[in-house]
Amino acid sequence: MNAPDRYEKFVVPEHLLKVEVRKDTKVADAATFVIQREDHTVGNLVRMQLLEDKDIMFAGYKIPHPLQYQLLIKVQTNGSKTPQRAVQSAIGSLEEELRDIREKFLADVARFGSGEESMLA
Amino acid sequence: MSSRAAPKRTPQVSVRKIEPDFCEFVLSDTDPSVANALRRVMLSEVPTLAIDLVEIEVNTTVLNDEFIAHRLGLIPLVSQRVWDFTGAYDTNDDDENALMDIVFQMDVKCTGDDTLDVTSNDLQLDPSFPDIHPVAYSTGPQDAQAEKGVLLVKLRKGQHLKLKAIARKGIGKDHAKWQPVATVAFQYMPDIRINHALMDTLSEEQKLQWIQSSPNPVFRLNPVTAQVEVVDAEAYRYDGEVIAKAKALGKEGLVNITPRQDMFIFRVEGTGAMATQQIVVAAIDVLLRKLDTLQQSLASADAAMDMDGL
Repeated sequence: MNAPDRYEKFVVPEHLLKVEVRKDTKVADAATFVIQREDHTVGNLVRMQLLEDKDIMFAGYKIPHPLQYQLLIKVQTNGSKTPQRAVQSAIGSLEEELRDIREKFLADVARFGSGEESMLA
Repeated sequence: MSSRAAPKRTPQVSVRKIEPDFCEFVLSDTDPSVANALRRVMLSEVPTLAIDLVEIEVNTTVLNDEFIAHRLGLIPLVSQRVWDFTGAYDTNDDDENALMDIVFQMDVKCTGDDTLDVTSNDLQLDPSFPDIHPVAYSTGPQDAQAEKGVLLVKLRKGQHLKLKAIARKGIGKDHAKWQPVATVAFQYMPDIRINHALMDTLSEEQKLQWIQSSPNPVFRLNPVTAQVEVVDAEAYRYDGEVIAKAKALGKEGLVNITPRQDMFIFRVEGTGAMATQQIVVAAIDVLLRKLDTLQQSLASADAAMDMDGL
């Protein structure tokens, strides 16, 4: 009856930004990133990558309500870089890693030589 | 800002088995969050094609319209060309010629005295997209050799089904009919450490008893050295039987088993919509695109902040 439309899960509404950065008003070098229409896939991925960074004092994520399709990532750094920079570099390393996995997967699949060419050039 | 954020991981991939509908590979030297993101994307965010809208003209079958529409939606369509299409919710501001709809027709009437099966083979393909068809599709005379297709409904004499079915691109998050996989799961590789000092206090018969307590063949007794050794660590199902048996024998700590946090065995079962190795690659691509969108949004949020003088 009053369930949200299914597309609400993955279509960012026009009046909202994909990512909003809220600086913490009480804690130095801390910020909350409000990401629209993302879930645990990205939340946990980015959080775990942030925790690998030695300049990070705190990194956590939450999905405040299952019917509000937004993700909150909270980050505090030791001051040597801004939280934005930390998240950007975390995403950068993840992208690098995924490209590496993609390349290695394709290389290993080629060993099987099933003859079927990948349609994803 | 110039320093690397973290020590870089160098993930390894080893493919074990590739069949049209099944793929097994080992992903190692990475984090569980990466493995889980990959699994989640394969399940719900790799796009495929599926029937989304059905216009029913005549339906005198025993099933109601929405029942048939639902069944049509669940038929996997061969989606090699999914990347040429635009989904109903994708942004395509400038492209007026974006491909969206694939139109199938169906018109089946039972005239004989026997029951007539209506299957996915009765769908007439869209002439513009002859390569987009249901899985196991075949036309012409239905002999024993031919693929049977997916059964939709059975007709008796005089019953008639006529409809138009429109397929579109979509993702599993919207509806499970767009999932490219039947199942995708990863298993943590177990790290099995046998306490050999304690093991030596067991008699050979006790050792055999202990080995037998595992429901899957994980251990064996080496006939030469009379030592217990691991033959197949992966066969361990985290059932805890061997640990319970060790306790029952009064030898707690005989074996220590922990799931490794850096080695994952992936098993992907496809529906036939895409080859399984393509699903894996597509999932990585979708995840990369997702991260790229975030990176760009962050950069623009950054620029906005600089303008405010923050």
